[in-house]
Amino acid sequence: MQIISFLFDKHLEKSVLALAVSLSVFMLTLGEDSKINAAREISSVLLYLSPVQKMEEYFTDIEDLRIENLKLREAAVSLAHENERLIQFGEERNRLREMLGFRRDSFFKFMPCEVIAKSSNRFHHSVTVDRGSAEGVKAGMAVVGYMGLVGKVTQVFPFSSRILLINNKAISVSCIDKRSRIVGILNWERGNRFNLDFIGSEEDVIPGDTLLTSGLGRVLPKGFPVGTVSRVDKEKTGLSLKVSVSSTADLNTVEELFIVIGGRDWESREILDLLENIKKEEQSADKTTEGNSTDKTTEDKPADKIKE
Amino acid sequence: MHILRMILASFVVFVFQVILSHIISFGEASPDFVLILLIVLVMHQKPVLAIIIGFLLGFLQDLGNASYLGMNALAKSLTGYVVARYASDLLPDSSLFKGLLILVSSLAGDVILLNIMASFDQVSVLVAFFRYSLLSAVYTAVVGVIVFKVIQILPGRTVRSGVGF
Repeated sequence: MQIISFLFDKHLEKSVLALAVSLSVFMLTLGEDSKINAAREISSVLLYLSPVQKMEEYFTDIEDLRIENLKLREAAVSLAHENERLIQFGEERNRLREMLGFRRDSFFKFMPCEVIAKSSNRFHHSVTVDRGSAEGVKAGMAVVGYMGLVGKVTQVFPFSSRILLINNKAISVSCIDKRSRIVGILNWERGNRFNLDFIGSEEDVIPGDTLLTSGLGRVLPKGFPVGTVSRVDKEKTGLSLKVSVSSTADLNTVEELFIVIGGRDWESREILDLLENIKKEEQSADKTTEGNSTDKTTEDKPADKIKE
Repeated sequence: MHILRMILASFVVFVFQVILSHIISFGEASPDFVLILLIVLVMHQKPVLAIIIGFLLGFLQDLGNASYLGMNALAKSLTGYVVARYASDLLPDSSLFKGLLILVSSLAGDVILLNIMASFDQVSVLVAFFRYSLLSAVYTAVVGVIVFKVIQILPGRTVRSGVGF
């Protein structure tokens, strides 16, 4: 007690100074690890007790928010550009679709359509498109793709139509050689392979010739490319040529098509009457066939095989 | 209320020390804001309180560089004691003299620091003293004079009133 009284009553200044100096020197004599650990612990306690920690968190949050805001701004700019591009693409697409929808040339009128279903039958290739009688589609109308003839309309519903593709045994197409003007009947063989039948052995048909629809049957319009002659051989009989043809259009990947709804020489009443007659014949044949056999479907009936 | 002001002032000064001193440094010379704060706080205070304030300020400064923990505590404790014990009564109430006090305190504190850092190697201490300490002490003194002038201008605040800033 006397020592404490001596230190803190009579020599308070010197005692406190000595204490401070002793503490300082003690801290200086500590090991490196001890100093660092002690400083770390004291700092963490002080920061926890003081508002510095909260302020630090506040400013850290602000910094995080600033970075996040910057990223969001970048993303917004990027998305805005992308959105603008998409809007332009959309407008361009609509414009092109409009152009296609009102496409006119001096010979034909086209109605664009999209394939909405495909037949799963390997030997009866047909597709369903999104245009029907409501848009003026009639049975028998020709259907073309970007590269050439694809098929014809066989069944019409109010808002859709079934199209029989030309790679089908039920369809024969009258074709004309673009170069030599030789006319033949095109029949499907397999895949995208066709045969041009009824070509005499002396006719001028060579590989590479382009075949166009002849229009002679008056059902399919004239002048659409159908295929290219890939090979010409003589038949064994020597009377005719065996002409192999590759179709111009890839019939396995049809997506957008055009229904030929009219043309210079084609939109006459005569052709429409002809289409009506064909339709009536089909219906009467259906009734007859239904009476004889109920097993066969309409598409499989021989009466459906319309040759130009 | 005075304690709150002291804490607030300490906080501001430490922020200045960490952020500003590097920005406004001239070459190797940078002002010691903590020393200025110590002088402002302990002038006209009792030596015991000056020692405690000096020790705490130095200790807080040491926390930033734990390798020399205790070094600034020692220097600032001694500086605080000397200023409170002798300078308050001896020096006239003038900003210029207070600047001189800051200059001497800075040099004395640096001598202690350099001795500890150089393990009492006098050649190294002398080289570092002339290379770093002199200019920094002058710089600190100039900033200190400005601070004292600003404090005198503040309405109702006088240095004579102890920690009245």
